[in-house]
Amino acid sequence: MTVDTTAVGGFGEPLPERDILEGFDRLIAANRLFGADLNSSNLKKSGKGTPFLVRRHPSHHHMISLWRDLFANRVSPQGLIDALAPEVLGLSHATGLLLFGKERILYDCDIVRGAEAVGHLTLAFYREREPVFRFLPFPRRPGRRIVYIEGISLSAQSTGYASSLFRHYYRLFHGLGFHRFRLKASLNVGKYYWAKEGFDCEDRVQFGEMRENLLTLVRRLGLPVEEQEVRRLNHANMVAAFRRDLPIPVYRNADGYYATVRDSSHTEEFRFPLGKAFLLCSDPWDGYKVIYTDTPRRTGFIWSERFLEHEPRPGHPESSKRLEALFAAIREEGMRESLIFLEPYTPATESLHAVHDPAYLDAFRDAAARGDRHFAVRDCAISEGSYEAALLAAGGVMAGIDAVLSGRSDNAFCAVRPPGHHAGRSSAMGFCFVNNVAAGARYARSAYGVERIYILDWDVHHGNGTQALFDEDPLTFFCSIHEHPSFCYPGTGRRLEKGAGAGRGTTLNIPLPPHSGDREMIEAFEREVVPSIEAFRPDLILLSAGFDAHRDDPIAGLECTEDAYVHMTRRVLELADRHCEGRVVSVLEGGYRTESLVSSAIAHIKTLQGREGSPCSSARG
Amino acid sequence: MFVGPRMKRDLITVTPGATLEEAARLLTAHRIHHLPVVEEGNRLAGIVSDTDLRNATLDGTFGGAERGDSGRPVTVGEIMTRDLVTLSPGDTLDDAMLVLSRQRIGALPVVEGGRLVGIVTKADILTALLSTLDIEGLGVRIEVVLPREMKEVARLVAVLADLDVEVRSFVLAPHGAAGYAAFVRVATIDVASVRDRLRGKGFSVGELSDFYEG
Repeated sequence: MTVDTTAVGGFGEPLPERDILEGFDRLIAANRLFGADLNSSNLKKSGKGTPFLVRRHPSHHHMISLWRDLFANRVSPQGLIDALAPEVLGLSHATGLLLFGKERILYDCDIVRGAEAVGHLTLAFYREREPVFRFLPFPRRPGRRIVYIEGISLSAQSTGYASSLFRHYYRLFHGLGFHRFRLKASLNVGKYYWAKEGFDCEDRVQFGEMRENLLTLVRRLGLPVEEQEVRRLNHANMVAAFRRDLPIPVYRNADGYYATVRDSSHTEEFRFPLGKAFLLCSDPWDGYKVIYTDTPRRTGFIWSERFLEHEPRPGHPESSKRLEALFAAIREEGMRESLIFLEPYTPATESLHAVHDPAYLDAFRDAAARGDRHFAVRDCAISEGSYEAALLAAGGVMAGIDAVLSGRSDNAFCAVRPPGHHAGRSSAMGFCFVNNVAAGARYARSAYGVERIYILDWDVHHGNGTQALFDEDPLTFFCSIHEHPSFCYPGTGRRLEKGAGAGRGTTLNIPLPPHSGDREMIEAFEREVVPSIEAFRPDLILLSAGFDAHRDDPIAGLECTEDAYVHMTRRVLELADRHCEGRVVSVLEGGYRTESLVSSAIAHIKTLQGREGSPCSSARG
Repeated sequence: MFVGPRMKRDLITVTPGATLEEAARLLTAHRIHHLPVVEEGNRLAGIVSDTDLRNATLDGTFGGAERGDSGRPVTVGEIMTRDLVTLSPGDTLDDAMLVLSRQRIGALPVVEGGRLVGIVTKADILTALLSTLDIEGLGVRIEVVLPREMKEVARLVAVLADLDVEVRSFVLAPHGAAGYAAFVRVATIDVASVRDRLRGKGFSVGELSDFYEG
């Protein structure tokens, strides 16, 4: 559950500034710390020459303020050098230097096998400066922290080293709170290599050109490739892996550069798969890869003790213990300081009429007031406090939407109950009474004018209530991943359910066969959910986050673990960053085994905060 | 279940004199595959299907190309199937299913006193089956394998009643030489505890592996 930083040096509390300054002095005395300026006359096109000019170190004041800004004093200078130089595949770093520029720190070293130098590595750490006003270049405020890969050169026999090294760096910089890797993919192998490693084009226009160039190449060679196949590519990594089955000839010159046509200098012929061959011959491109960080996002947490006042009969799976345990875990994990706690509010009943019939809500209120033991169906057990709790749950989602749309938090998790996604316009079923996520979506639209809303429901059960409410709405995309309806309640959510009328095509159902686990879940997610979010370009993403697809949950037959939830959460955030400034409101649905519910929800919330451990295993999309 | 209440009564028909083009248009416009051909007084003369039309318009290969002035058939009367299997409203859906399956045809006209009164197609049978099993209704199916004894079935029903669970459909089918398979569609999200309870009472509740073998 805890973030594994021990492997990369254990970054916790900031170190005293005195220690950092002493660290500078020790490095200066050892001739391992200098000042540096970028060498602007060096074009770097050939990958040769010095990218910077070394000089005497700048003032301690400058160095410590730069260190504080970039590393938050959570690592000492020597600690950083050590962490940057792991021994991987028999290779290590020698003469690692730290160079302090005006706004950046550089790390420069030789890569050695024993005493023999086999390569060179230069990294730069800096903070982007973002304009405060989009249309004015100044003033600027500090933005994302960047690791810029100035250059890595290696002799041929060290295959696999760079991959292992950057996997290590991924964890390291994740722990240090850096946001992105960046680089210019310009070397012969680099243009292909970085795409294969999951780097994407920073500039979407540049990527569009890359795709057009690929299409031109396909046409010129008359290759058996559909135009649509090329148009579907939306990540440099997909280009790298494109049509592995289709080798084409490329020609190399004496400097090791490739071209798709043979000329006087490009004479040596090779055959590579289409995507690889294309990238080897492509123009240089600016690449980036997102590193998720410890605390880059402010996550709202909506919670109230009043949710516990919905008390179904003893032995009922949807018990108030679920939330009690989750809240206790939040406390134990020490997350109370890092979350923004927000109170839900009871919405006016009129504001729920957009999703529920007034007569239905009245009947529910009366049943609870009368002391009925269940409402509508036996599954929907109630107590006296159920009506108020159900309204409050919908209000909890509204509070989450308020927080995210007003900018109080970047995203939000609504720890509400009773759940909502089975509830229809006038039907209570499957433990659900008021459709919280649907009420939230309607509210976001009416109160904030949010136009395009994407609802992703990864509860193990199909979100039939939500689907029915937005069946004909072309501006609300409903996507549900669930256990196949032939095996699982409520028996809806087949692939053929795609929306109706104007909303045809904005409903996506992905049924998974029983016993599917993380692999199947993540594959389906990457294959279908990610492209549908990309295509829909939402202004807000809502999650119906049930955790009952967990393998320990008895209620249904899927066998996922926390890993799947972490993966999906991370990718949803990534897509939300791209389309809607990271606006994600996650709403708790099912999850009936307390232990797995708590561990999954905590992992999910930590990922929403941007601080869950392992790097993103996929670079697709 | 008798054919009468389940058959389609508002029919799209043609006369033997109608052209093939007219017939094709009707099929496309109504998204159907069969047209009963009727003479005066709604007397059934034959039936023409989209397959008949397709074969008739294909060049040469089919016998139909020999007829007509231009060497090709022109009217529905020339290509329709005259040798018909029909039902009467008093026949049952079982009859319809057996005929549709054995004869491998798609639609059966329903005739009463020589007059066409309705039609039953494969699609109607599927619809009837879907509603009988309540496949579209909310719920989950549980498979219980029982010895072929009514006492066991009664015990199963008693446990279900005891659980106070809503049963959407209940189908009892032969299973092996000496068993029943009961397909019970229940409307509860907490199907896991229903299964547990049944197992606790000594019933054999199916698992996914049973489907793979089946």
